[in-house]
Amino acid sequence: MKARILNHDQVLTVVDLLRARGYEVIAPFCRDEESRRDTFFDVVTDDNRAHVRVHVANPFYPPKRYVLPHIERLFRIGTGSGTFDIQPTYEHPKRAIFGIRSCDVAGIWHLDRFYLGREFRDTYYEQRRRNLFLVNVVCSDPNVDIADECFCVCADTGPAARDHFDLQLMDLHDGEFMAVAGTPAGEALFANPVFRKGTEAHVERRRAILSDVRKRFKTTTSWFPATVRYVSQGKILDKTWEEIGNRCLECGGCTYVCPACTCFTVTDRKVGPDEIERVRIWDSCALGGFTRMAGGHNPRKAVHDRRNRRFFRKLAHYFIQRELSMACLGCGRCAAVCHGDVGMPSVVEMIRRAMGETGRLSATAGGEQS
Amino acid sequence: MSAGAENIYLPKLAVLDRVQDEIAEVKTFYWHFEDPEEQRRFGRFRPGQFAQVSVFGTGEFPLSLPPSPTEAQTFFTARQVGSCSGSLHALKPGDQFAVRGPYGNGFPMEDYYGKNLVFVAGGIGLIPLRSCIMYALAHREKFQRIQIFLGARTSRDLMYREDLRRWEQSAGVECHLTVDRADPAWNGHVGVVGSLFKKPGIEVPVDNTIAFVCGPPIMFRFVIKDLLNMGLPERCIVSTLERYMKCGVGKCGHCCIGVAYVCVDGPVFTYEQIKKLGEDI
Ligand SMILES: Cc1cc2nc3c(=O)[nH]c(=O)nc-3n(C[C@H](O)[C@H](O)[C@H](O)COP(=O)(O)OP(=O)(O)OC[C@H]3O[C@@H](n4cnc5c(N)ncnc54)[C@H](O)[C@@H]3O)c2cc1C
Ligand code: SF4
Ligand code: SF4
Ligand code: FES
Repeated sequence: MKARILNHDQVLTVVDLLRARGYEVIAPFCRDEESRRDTFFDVVTDDNRAHVRVHVANPFYPPKRYVLPHIERLFRIGTGSGTFDIQPTYEHPKRAIFGIRSCDVAGIWHLDRFYLGREFRDTYYEQRRRNLFLVNVVCSDPNVDIADECFCVCADTGPAARDHFDLQLMDLHDGEFMAVAGTPAGEALFANPVFRKGTEAHVERRRAILSDVRKRFKTTTSWFPATVRYVSQGKILDKTWEEIGNRCLECGGCTYVCPACTCFTVTDRKVGPDEIERVRIWDSCALGGFTRMAGGHNPRKAVHDRRNRRFFRKLAHYFIQRELSMACLGCGRCAAVCHGDVGMPSVVEMIRRAMGETGRLSATAGGEQS
Repeated sequence: MSAGAENIYLPKLAVLDRVQDEIAEVKTFYWHFEDPEEQRRFGRFRPGQFAQVSVFGTGEFPLSLPPSPTEAQTFFTARQVGSCSGSLHALKPGDQFAVRGPYGNGFPMEDYYGKNLVFVAGGIGLIPLRSCIMYALAHREKFQRIQIFLGARTSRDLMYREDLRRWEQSAGVECHLTVDRADPAWNGHVGVVGSLFKKPGIEVPVDNTIAFVCGPPIMFRFVIKDLLNMGLPERCIVSTLERYMKCGVGKCGHCCIGVAYVCVDGPVFTYEQIKKLGEDI
């Protein structure tokens, strides 16, 4: 991949270049200087451009909504003319996300694999994805970029994405940024004079920073792959799932903040005297109604069955192979929002502890007279 | 949208032709697509597949395809249980609704050529099996023995009565009916559907046989046990699973059971597969 160097104070030139090319640019902002965690993605305008944050805690509300809006209209149904008139509505804005973190880049890739793979291609996702340009920013400032719950380093999605971005920016912390092109569209930006050729020293500096950053994660688990194995083999005891389920308050928060959760529900709503629209809305397997059928039968009645579901879907080898991508990227959001402390890292830890306790040897077993 | 790409969520307009009462709360809806080309395309479905049915303003829900592709008419048989099925029941001949599909794997009927077919249905479990039965009868020479075991709560709960009469009279099928509770109008067998297997004079072939089982969960469990006891291998028992569904195309996540998306990997599964899904059905 081709790399270039640009000055620290010119990094927002990338935003300007994209805007000049007709992109609607989304970027991370911070509510105010003190509340460092109160961050959000928003559209860059002339007025707020100066407030775009390069180093920022990753917003809880994931950029997923730019390819899968929280509520999305599928089509309108006109009812005025005596016959139903079905009018699909498509949106394919020319849009760029500046400052998308590596975990979320992997999240979009996962959504690509899921919505565009297998038997059917999701029309609406495909439309929104078509013109989406991703400017990944590497998390290189451990004090700001990396939250306590982040564990991309264990999911192998960060802190520096290896692919699936158009352009990647990384602060070399010496007044310079390194830009890496991931696609021809990204490389085309290098034509601008702010980008200059680098040296071997730049590459070395990038490597040194990353190797330091990798040691600065507060949440790490070497048990991620082992958990995948045990979940896939069905070796986790019901007792353990129950223990995890007992702590879930069924708020659905973990699924809403997750950049790799894909479930939705579909409903019709009246929007005018002669018009109905069909919309899809994010849904959550944590909620009791998710599998409840007409007549009240619910195959996943117990909370722990539903908790089990979320982790099974994310960790079972079958699904990883199905999408060639894992539905957990280690962004840590679910860990940060969960009231019951059963986000992904805690679940992995609870499984690790439970597996350690199973199969204990007993020196006293074997009957009375031993 | 780009040329050639098909919108998987877009239903096609259909018109209701005729409604027929089956049993309490269950009716059969005969319909056709407004677009004859769509009707031809759709008509190539496989037994055991299903469609997503839209009643605009209420929503969309899955219904099996009880006709066989060898029949000329398209129809659904639906029980009124909630909002969408209620709105479908409220439609009158001439009214518009919409359909997309067919979806799901369906039964691999060609794989069953040369085998005995044993159909076991409880209540409205006959809806998806009707398609296979009609298909098998239309290709009668491809199969060995064909047996139908049908259970209903009372004689008033027997659906597709005209078909039943034809199957009972046809030389090519052995059709056995039973009801859970007797009533004056009934002079046939009384007992759960599995009790038919032990009825004198009935002999269920076990070798080279495929058993289709559809019905309420409790009936399913007992019949499976009976069939396994009789020596039928797990992989020769097939069924359709029912799950809450929103999209029918493997995206919304509602229909997952363990490792399977029922809408695309199913709804047809062998009992061997069902056991391995890793979640209660
Ligand atoms: C593959 C398949 C084939 C089916 N075939 C038939 C059939 O031929 N005849 C028949 O009467 N019924 C059939 N059902 C069940 C039928 O789909 C439900 O009874 C129906 O969806 C209930 O919807 P409702 O709006 O009336 O009820 P509500 O309770 O108001 O449900 C609202 C929504 O929930 C979902 N939903 C609720 N219950 C179910 C359920 N049991 N299965 C799937 N989704 C559900 C639907 O998306 C529905 O729109 C089938 C189900 C599946 C999965
Ligand atoms: S965030 Fe925690 S409490 Fe809320 S649904 Fe998810 S696991 Fe349950
Ligand atoms: S499961 Fe949790 S840590 Fe994994 S991607 Fe989703 S929100 Fe992030
Ligand atoms: S019904 Fe949506 S995934 Fe199966």
